[in-house]
Amino acid sequence: MRMLRVGRWITALALLLLAGVYVRALAFTPVERLQGLAQKIFYLHVPAAIWAESAMVFVGLASVFYLFMKDPRLDRFASASAEVGTVFAAIVLTTGPIWGKPIWGTWWSWDARLTFTLFLFLLYVGYLLLRGAVADPATRARYAAVLGICGMCLVPFVHFSVYMFRTLHPMPIVLKPSAPSLPGSMLATWLFSFAVFTLLYVGFVTQRYALSYLREQLEAAAGDAGMGHA
Amino acid sequence: MPEAVPQNGGYMIAAYVVAAVILISYAVSLYLRTRRTLRP
Repeated sequence: MRMLRVGRWITALALLLLAGVYVRALAFTPVERLQGLAQKIFYLHVPAAIWAESAMVFVGLASVFYLFMKDPRLDRFASASAEVGTVFAAIVLTTGPIWGKPIWGTWWSWDARLTFTLFLFLLYVGYLLLRGAVADPATRARYAAVLGICGMCLVPFVHFSVYMFRTLHPMPIVLKPSAPSLPGSMLATWLFSFAVFTLLYVGFVTQRYALSYLREQLEAAAGDAGMGHA
Repeated sequence: MPEAVPQNGGYMIAAYVVAAVILISYAVSLYLRTRRTLRP
């Protein structure tokens, strides 16, 4: 219960700070000359994309360790991270086309970055469907771990697709070997937004982890009661 | 003569609204699922 309360407080604080990101991005960050106001979508799209990818890496790492250690906490964390990653991937796949339309002239293009990102989202959805479809907890955790590791292997293709293929999507502006190619005020807003998305990830995962734990406790209690009656 | 900045604020507003709706909906969904689980 303590974890649930902590998760709720972190989420509430993060949502409050998100309002601050909106205010800073819309009112106190300069407008990019070539792209206009649409460029400000960057402050939501990129942090969401980084966390959609990172969440899947965490799912994969937790899955690898789960297969060796069989610790249910790792499976619970992987499940929580996958659900939150799906939310961030949904933000990427909705804000991306809204940004693309005024800049590229099209909502969607089947270029490598966009297609791999769609794969990532579908993999998240498949992962969650798989978890819902298998009743036995140990089998569910094992199958989900295998899919989680496959998902982690997809992430480098998502991130480096702009280097490996000729794409419509631009190269990374912040996460690259050289210094970020952004003016200071824009970079400050982006860093603020990234910190808030990090807090959102932590808050959501903490809550989702606590919810899984509560459900497992209730199922175990119900099982014990059933045994008692028998 | 300097080029005019493109007038595409509507797209920005749409993206900000969509992101807020997704995040708040998920936060509410977590709250409701937890409340349902805790209900005796």
